[in-house]
Amino acid sequence: MTEYRGEIHRRQKELMQRWYARLDESARTGWPPAICLMISGNCVELLEAFGIVPIYPEINALQLAIRHQALEPILVAEELGYATDNCAYVKADIGAYLMGVTPSGGKLPRPALVLCNFVGCNTYLKWFEHVAAFMDAPLYVLDIPFLRCGEPHPEDVAYVVAQLKDVVHRIEAITGLRFDPDRFREAVRCARRVEELWSRIKHLARREPSPFDAYFDAITLMGPLYVYRATPEGVAFFECALAELEAKAARGEGVYDREHFRVVVEGPPPYPYFRTFRDMFARWRATVVASTYSTVGGIWEFGFRHDPDQPFESVALHMLAHNLSNRNYLQRYDQIRRYVREWSADGVIIHFVKSCRLFSAGQGDMRDYLTNVLGVPTLYIESDLEDPRYFAEAQIRNRVDAFFEALERHKSAARRPITV
Amino acid sequence: MRFAAGVDVGSTQTKAVILAAGEGDSESPRIVARAVVDTGAHVSRAAERAFHAACREAGLDPREIGLVVGTGYGRYKIAFGHAQVTEISCHARGAHFVLPETRTVIDIGGQDAKVIRVGPEGEVRDFVMNDKCAAGTGRFLANAAEVLGLRLEEIGPLSLQATDPVKLTTVCTVFVESDILSYLAQGRRPEDILRGVHLAIARRTVSLARRIPIEPAVTFTGGVARNVGMVRALEEVLGLSIHVSPEFHFMGALGAALFALDRLEHRAEVGAARHERN
Repeated sequence: MTEYRGEIHRRQKELMQRWYARLDESARTGWPPAICLMISGNCVELLEAFGIVPIYPEINALQLAIRHQALEPILVAEELGYATDNCAYVKADIGAYLMGVTPSGGKLPRPALVLCNFVGCNTYLKWFEHVAAFMDAPLYVLDIPFLRCGEPHPEDVAYVVAQLKDVVHRIEAITGLRFDPDRFREAVRCARRVEELWSRIKHLARREPSPFDAYFDAITLMGPLYVYRATPEGVAFFECALAELEAKAARGEGVYDREHFRVVVEGPPPYPYFRTFRDMFARWRATVVASTYSTVGGIWEFGFRHDPDQPFESVALHMLAHNLSNRNYLQRYDQIRRYVREWSADGVIIHFVKSCRLFSAGQGDMRDYLTNVLGVPTLYIESDLEDPRYFAEAQIRNRVDAFFEALERHKSAARRPITV
Repeated sequence: MRFAAGVDVGSTQTKAVILAAGEGDSESPRIVARAVVDTGAHVSRAAERAFHAACREAGLDPREIGLVVGTGYGRYKIAFGHAQVTEISCHARGAHFVLPETRTVIDIGGQDAKVIRVGPEGEVRDFVMNDKCAAGTGRFLANAAEVLGLRLEEIGPLSLQATDPVKLTTVCTVFVESDILSYLAQGRRPEDILRGVHLAIARRTVSLARRIPIEPAVTFTGGVARNVGMVRALEEVLGLSIHVSPEFHFMGALGAALFALDRLEHRAEVGAARHERN
């Protein structure tokens, strides 16, 4: 079976290289200014309004992991005193900074501002505090209230909007750049278009066979989604991606020659063993038709869009309510339930990340809910998204194989239809 | 007569079972041979040795075995195997074969422990396993025996003579040694320590099992099932009686052989249908 490599992959590589080149240029010349952001509900539109380039420490960390370069920086961070069970993203990022290593081989700039845009995870807060301290950069912590019920209260939105406007003043003061409201609206308009295209791509996975894998392939699209969402280049990339995948769907082409299973995945992938992990699914011709991980930066498949007529308010809404990390557990359950039903999945695979309490706490209960309450076959596996020491290939393969063997029986017997 | 084999390459031992297909629809397959060898460092060689030993016991030439299914952690290393099935599916299938009422399988092997929920036809409904470390597995018992200077087969019966079991603070295979040494230093009796060791594993296994509904009949498989102290400890913690088949150690290989027989029969049916069409 040959893995699909299309124009999407070529353009993605080009875009990401261009991003790293801009960061390198910023490091060498001091221009354009760069600001650290985190992926969870990121407000890249605000940066784009200034022409500021984002630095995402998570992307740097995962790039190191996928290139099998994460362990050394992790060990460097541990030598410094970071505990073995600290977030491995943090350790890889801090360790790499101390070693002077970057995923691109180029330089990363000292950020004009370290903007901690998500505080639902206190490890992230500490991470950005440390980044600011190591890089001697100013820190701004946006206080984004957790989503406690269905929709954020108007007071929550007003609270976040007030902070965003304050950040604008801070950026102006630090960089000397003037905030341009028209440019901001244009950035939000681009984001809205990208979100529409991305959402349509995700809905293509409802087809049988699905023309793309909403976990393994989605990761290819997530870099441009977070870095270029608010730019015309982002729009062009996602227009190309949608056209290519729609053409694939029109030809009836799936991820595999004959799609055999359709599953939903909860949790990030084990990046140090990304290829090995993907092969475990490929062996069973199992397509991931939906994933929660691809919604950490934003959930758009259920209709939310940024709004150029209310740019600050919609950025605040995105940060408060329309990204996975800031939502409560029952909403996460419901998201998976909808995926299983609306994307016609046979089962769910939960990947527990040992060094991430935020994402993984409660996943045992999630498994019980899916299995015992909804009757959805669910597999629970454990390793890590960044630290290769937690990945036991034989044991994970055993569980994945056993899950698909059981699913095979479950499907052929069709004795217990999934009713969710 | 059609023969099929299952080879279970476990972390400690490799088991092989040969089955003869039943005659007609009413007769069940029957076990014609079993063999067990230590796995050691050469997984594929261990599989071969176990398979050939079983063939010798059955008085069969290996070429007479129509199909071989491999299972266990080394299943992909069985060069002569025709297919691989996980030991989770195989233990469920084997336990259902020996006791069709089985709805829960507890399997404790050398380095892992698993609990499998089994459907009425021997299919896996759900399963849970210990994670990467070997806490609460056969290795834990082996370490405890070693610290006490006992042979592995002695510790189960001895644990049943306990009058005042100790409470272990760990199920960690590494830290159990210091726990045991500290109890010995306090003058506690080996049988009371051993009962504590068995109860610690039982509690850990049952807490694992509680994640899936435990339904009787419960069948205990894997090498640790030969330990009577472990059977009693599990029964006490579970509050249920546990079935231990004489085939407990071969359950994975037996399940693999049953899957092999299925495929063999499917192949024969397809062949017969083709023959009829021609």
